[in-house]
Order: sequence, then structure tokens, then C-alpha cells
Amino acid sequence: MFPARTIGRWLRPLAATLACLAALGAGAAELYGPEAKDARQGGTLTVGSLVEPPGLDPFHQGADARIRVTVLMYQGLFYEAVDGEAAPLLAESYEASPDKLIYTIKLRQGVKFHTGQPMTARDVAYSYNYIRDPKNGSPGAGDFTVITAIDAVDEATVRITLSQPNASLPMTLGNKYGAVIPAGYFDAADAKTKLNQASVGTGPFKLVEFKPNSNLMLARNPDYWEKGAPYLDQINFVSIPNSASMLVGLTNKRVDLALLNRPQDVRQVEKTPGLKTERWPSLNQKTVDLGSEYGPLADARVRQAIALGVDKDEVMRASIGGLGQVIGTMVAAMQERWGLPLAEVPNQKADVESAKKLLAEAGHANGLELNLTTIIGYDWMDPAAVTMREQLARIGVKLNIQRVELGVWIKNFQSKQMGFTFNDWATQPDPNLLFYRHFRMAPEGADFRNWKNEKASRLLDEGRAENDPAKRKAIYLEFQKEMARSVPTIMLFSADLVTVRSEKVRNYVQHPTGWYYGLARTFVAQ
Amino acid sequence: MARYLTQRLAASVVTALLASVIVFTLVRSVPGDVVAQMLGQTSDPTAERALREFFGLDLPGWRQYLAWLGNVVSGNLGMSWTRGQPVGPLIGGALLVTLQLGFMTLVVATAVGVPLGLVASIYEGRLLDKAIQSFSLLGLAAPVFWVGLMLLVGVSSLAGWSPPLLYAPPTASVADNLAILALPIASLGLLQAAAYAQFVRQSVVSAFHQDYVRTAIAKGVPLRLVFFKHVLRNIGIPLVTFMGLILIQILGGAVIIESVFALPGLGRLLLTSIETRDYPVLQGALLVVVVIAMAVNLGVDLLYRVIDPRVRLS
Repeated sequence: MFPARTIGRWLRPLAATLACLAALGAGAAELYGPEAKDARQGGTLTVGSLVEPPGLDPFHQGADARIRVTVLMYQGLFYEAVDGEAAPLLAESYEASPDKLIYTIKLRQGVKFHTGQPMTARDVAYSYNYIRDPKNGSPGAGDFTVITAIDAVDEATVRITLSQPNASLPMTLGNKYGAVIPAGYFDAADAKTKLNQASVGTGPFKLVEFKPNSNLMLARNPDYWEKGAPYLDQINFVSIPNSASMLVGLTNKRVDLALLNRPQDVRQVEKTPGLKTERWPSLNQKTVDLGSEYGPLADARVRQAIALGVDKDEVMRASIGGLGQVIGTMVAAMQERWGLPLAEVPNQKADVESAKKLLAEAGHANGLELNLTTIIGYDWMDPAAVTMREQLARIGVKLNIQRVELGVWIKNFQSKQMGFTFNDWATQPDPNLLFYRHFRMAPEGADFRNWKNEKASRLLDEGRAENDPAKRKAIYLEFQKEMARSVPTIMLFSADLVTVRSEKVRNYVQHPTGWYYGLARTFVAQ
Repeated sequence: MARYLTQRLAASVVTALLASVIVFTLVRSVPGDVVAQMLGQTSDPTAERALREFFGLDLPGWRQYLAWLGNVVSGNLGMSWTRGQPVGPLIGGALLVTLQLGFMTLVVATAVGVPLGLVASIYEGRLLDKAIQSFSLLGLAAPVFWVGLMLLVGVSSLAGWSPPLLYAPPTASVADNLAILALPIASLGLLQAAAYAQFVRQSVVSAFHQDYVRTAIAKGVPLRLVFFKHVLRNIGIPLVTFMGLILIQILGGAVIIESVFALPGLGRLLLTSIETRDYPVLQGALLVVVVIAMAVNLGVDLLYRVIDPRVRLS
């Protein structure tokens, strides 16, 4: 008879393994989108793109416009499933040690790079060790700081060792930064630039040509490890930098599919015969950031007053015509799983009298003047700024709107001189990846808004390490309450992702990240 | 003439050198750089340092300039920091698109604008003159992006047709090439024709009031001969000057029409390079624009001598 203690020693790791395998099984069925039993193989799809990728290097180029297309060419160990789980992609299964410091990952078999060579554990170890070394200049390095070692155990097994538990590790090994590429790829001096001419990933599509200010052509990967996928022979991303030309292209059937940003554009095509307009929930958020380094915003009462002066629904309707959802402290596509109920979010509803009272307590009974920064090219920010100017005038805050170019804004952001500014960013579906870098105090986090909140930082550390889903959620609910109370940022709304497609385009599902995963399961009818 | 050309070329080299300093300094005076653009809303000082070192941005400005200048002199414009392609062919490909757009627009604008201006001058003060002047005023006032968009949307709505999405060079397909350039040329050409018509009308009307023309008419020379043999030849020099200015304006300002019609020309390349802070492409493209402007000016000056042999080039 085994003593209970022995049985317990066996059961706990078994339970953990079963939990991992179960979690993997739940997401495995719908990689990149739903399979189509009646899919027609072949054809070329023309996708109109308002924003062209500035480059195709998944290791060094952090722009969202790049990620959207490179997810079709490059793959990580896991995939950001729409239900918020990290589904296996190049991983087949994994198990974590009882202390959650060692992850042993079994790799999928039969995977080849676009170069034709088979993928092994050595390639996986090389790729992720490259990303996590900040000397290599990857924007993703900061997400891998808890990893102390990545080793190839054998041809098909990788071991990842952590310095502390990190519940979002699988999601981090996804597809935002970097990917699995052949070992030694970056040893060549021109390796970084060659990625714009030839792809070396494992994805369903490979790069054919990339012509600046013209188009990006992908072709089916004939060696793709999933039989029967993708359905399309080619995808042609055509760069069309203005909305009117995009609408003309859609209407005249030169463009088969496009993501539209502006409500007035959606209204123009939603009733056009032959076109189908669809709205999808998103992981993006439009926010107002309040940098504590900016004079009056150092006082939490001023920040709270501003939050109480803003009517989020009015701002949303003015800026995106209602094509989105007002949010509290969580992006729309993660609200159900991780979000604090809106009714419980402090400072969520506009309250002019309370706002004035707070400003008076903070020594601004006669009002104050602030500069609000918006970014040129982000269409929603202009009407949002004008609307907020009117709203905050009611509580005695005079807003001066200053428009800056994106490069200037990024420089201010990275040097933590954000001031009072609109922001527009998205996340992978994990609360640690959403919050940690942005709000945790330095040096572990970047704390871009100079919030310096110890309670919030402690909660973020706990949330990152906690693997039990229920406990993890409780921690993040507590964090969201603190964030809404102290207001380093006001999360205004998540804009829906709006796609317009020709009726011949079938089975396209827009991923909530805004990335083009769904094109791997799309086909064109005759 | 040989001496004149030598002097002009020497002056052009000095001008180009000065322009290279201005271009180099100007692009770096805009806040933010390619590293900031690549890292975006992530921030890691070590990663930032590594990338700046990779792009040579950690070196003093004067060293970066000399390194770039040395490469330019040896015919190497470097590699695009974001596209990973050699800058020379990138600019070359874009330039061909813009040059084709520019020259074809000039031909259309001249073919439409000069006759309109002549007709307006002949019927000075009458209804036709007033109608042509109204067209000129509208053309001078209308923004080019508005005209382009109106044409694009109008043709699409009325004829159910829009230009192809991808630019095809004339060597690949003349039909596709003309199809994609028809509307941009029409947009730019109409506006430039308006400017031409106004200029030609004013010049011809002014010439007709000159003594030599009034004398010729008084002596019984047929009006047609007065017009083509005397008036046109004497407005030839200002007309050529005007053409040169128009061409430089089209080449330098094509960014708007290229964005409306998604043409992969030099203007759009400049714009995207500014957005991504791709210094090698930006510097190279601006230098090319300066060189083209100098070449056009030289060409115009040489044409003066052809039109009027009395002109001394010095």
C-alpha cells in the first residue's frame, strides 16, 4: 500500500501534465480559423492594405503592420487562440515541473522550413535564445527576461528554464516577436536585410516578392506540415494608402478583402451589392494616457477628475461612429475571461460635480490648462480630441490639442515623456502581456507612464507567477481596480475590426489581434 | 559653349555637395529614428543600443556623413534600413515611375494649355476668353488631391471602371501602363494646363501690345504670320522657363497624386522613408531630386540658345 504522501507526490505532477495536455487539446482544432470542409483549393486573393509593412523581419521590426502578414510566414511554438488559450503550433505538447520553473516541450514532427530543411530542437533553441538576448536588438527581448536557459534536449525536445514562475510563458512563445528559423541564420552579416527578400519560416505561406509602395506577394508553402492547408495558392497584399482608392478598389472588385478603419468608409460600402461587411471583437484599445511626469498629472486627484470628466460612450461615437465597445479596464475580446465588470470599475462613469470637487481639493478650483497630444494619421484621435475638449471644459480643464508625427510620439513614449496623450495599442490575449511591461515599476517593467505604484507592481508580479486560473483572475481583478482608482490611463474603447470582402471570399475569420491568421483558412469560390 | 558647360558642371558639383550637407542634416533633425520606429511601444535600452550600433547611429554625425558621402561618390547609395534592398535600384525604379508621370503630364498640359492660352489671347475680352480664364482660375485654385479623387470616384461610379492596382512599366504592358497612368496624368495635366493657359494668354496679349507687332500689323503682315513668326518666337524663352518650373514642380510634388492613385513613385518613396526614418533612402532620394532640378535648369538654359541665338551663355 502506498502512503498518501507518495501518492500525492505522483498525483500532483500528473495532474499538472494532464491539465497542460487538456488545455492544448481544447485549442488544437481551430488553428488560424475554422476548417472548411467544402474549401476550394487554389486561386489568388487580393488584399487591400492601408498600411504597408515597413519591413518583414519578425525579430527586429515591432510594427503591427509587419506582424499582420509575417504570421502567415513564420510560426512560434504556440498560437494565440481566440478563446485566450495558447494552442500548440510548432509545439505538440508540453509539461511543466511542479515548481513551474522548467517547461519541457515536445516538438511537432514533419515540420520543414521554407528552405526545405527539417526543423529540430536546435533551431527552436537558437531562435528563442536570439530573441531573448537584448544585444541582438529584438523588441521582444523584454518579454523573455524570466527565461534563464533554453536547451535542445534531443532532436524533438526543448527545455526552457525560468528564474521565476510565469503563467504567460506559452503565450509569450507565440507569434508577435520572432519565430522559429534555422539555427545560425543571423550569423551572416546581411541576414537581417535578407528577410525582406526571402522567408525562412515554417508558415503556410512563403514570400514571393516585396515591392515597396506596391505589393507583397505570398505563395502557398508546398511543404507545409498541416495537410490540406492553406487553401489559397497566392495572396497579394496591395498597398493602397488612402481610403477613397480602397473603396473604389472594393467596389470595382479589384480588391477582394480589406480591413477598414473609419466609420464613414464602412457606411459607404456596407450596402454595396456583392460585398459583405463584418464586425469582429478586438484586442485593441484606444486610451488616454496620463504621464505622472507631466505637472498637474502627478496628483492622482487630477487624474481621477479627468477620468470623471470623460464620457467614454460619447467619445467612441464621435470617433468611430459606434463601431466598437466602451471598455473599463480590459480590452473587449478579453473582457469576459479577465475583465472587471464595468459596474465595478471606479471612475468609469462621467460625474462632472465629483470631478470639479476633486480638482478643487487638488488646488485647481479655478481650472487648469493641459496639452493633449494626438498622432497624425490616427483618424479616430481628431474627433475624439475635440469631443474630450468639450467634455473637460465642463469641469474646468482647458485642453490644447497638439498633433505630432508618429516618430516623434514614439520617441517621447520610449523616453517616458508621454505627457497627456492618446494611445492606440493591442495585445496578445494574456493579462500579463497586456499590463506588465506598461505598468510595472522599473527595472522589471518599463512603467511608461511613470506611475510608480507599488501595490500595482506587486499584483502584477503575483499575477505573472500564478498558474491557477481562478486565483490569477482574482489578482488581475484587484489590479484593474487599482488602475481604475489611480488612473495612469483611461481605457476608452476597443474598436471593432471591420472587414469588407467580396462574396466570393469564403471562410475568412478575422483574428482579434488584427493579424491575418484567417487567410490560412480562406478560399475563393468560383 | 564647352567652357560654359564645364563651368556649369563645376558649379553643379558644388551645389550638390552643399545640398548633401543640408539633406543629411535635415533628415536627422526630425525627432525619432529608425530604431525608435522598429522598437515601437517596447523599450529596452540594450536592444536600442544594439540596433543603433548596427545602423551606425552611435557614431558622431560628421563620421556618418563622411561615410555616406564616400559611398555616394563611389556610386553606392547603401542599403535601405527597413526594406533590406539596395537604395540605388529602389530609387531608380521609383524615379522611372515619376519621370514617366512627369513627362507625360507635361506633354498633356502643353498640348492642352498652350492652344487654350492662344485662343484666349486671340479672343481677348470676349466670352471664349472669359471661359478659358475661368477654367484657369479653377485649375489654379483646385487642390490636386481633390481633382484626383473626384476623377477616380467619378469614373468608377459612372463607368464602373478603376485603374489597375499594380503599376506595370511600359516594357511589360503598354495597355496596363496607360490604364494606371491615365487618371493621374489627367488630374495633374488638367491643373498644369490651367496654369499654362493663363501664362500663355498673358504673354501673348502682352506681346501683341509691343511696337514691333503693331508695326508688322500696320505694314499688312497677315495675322497668322505675325502670330507664329513673331509673337510665338518671342514668348518662347519665358515659355520654356515656365515648362522647366512646371516639370520640377511635378517631379517634386508628385507625392500627393502618387498617394491617391497608389503609384510606387519617388514622391511616395520619400513619404514612406520619412515615416520610417529610413535615412539611406531619404538622403539618396532627396539628392536625386536636387540633381534632377539642376539638370532641368541646365537644359532650360541651353534651350534658350536654341530658341534665340542672340542669347549669350555665360
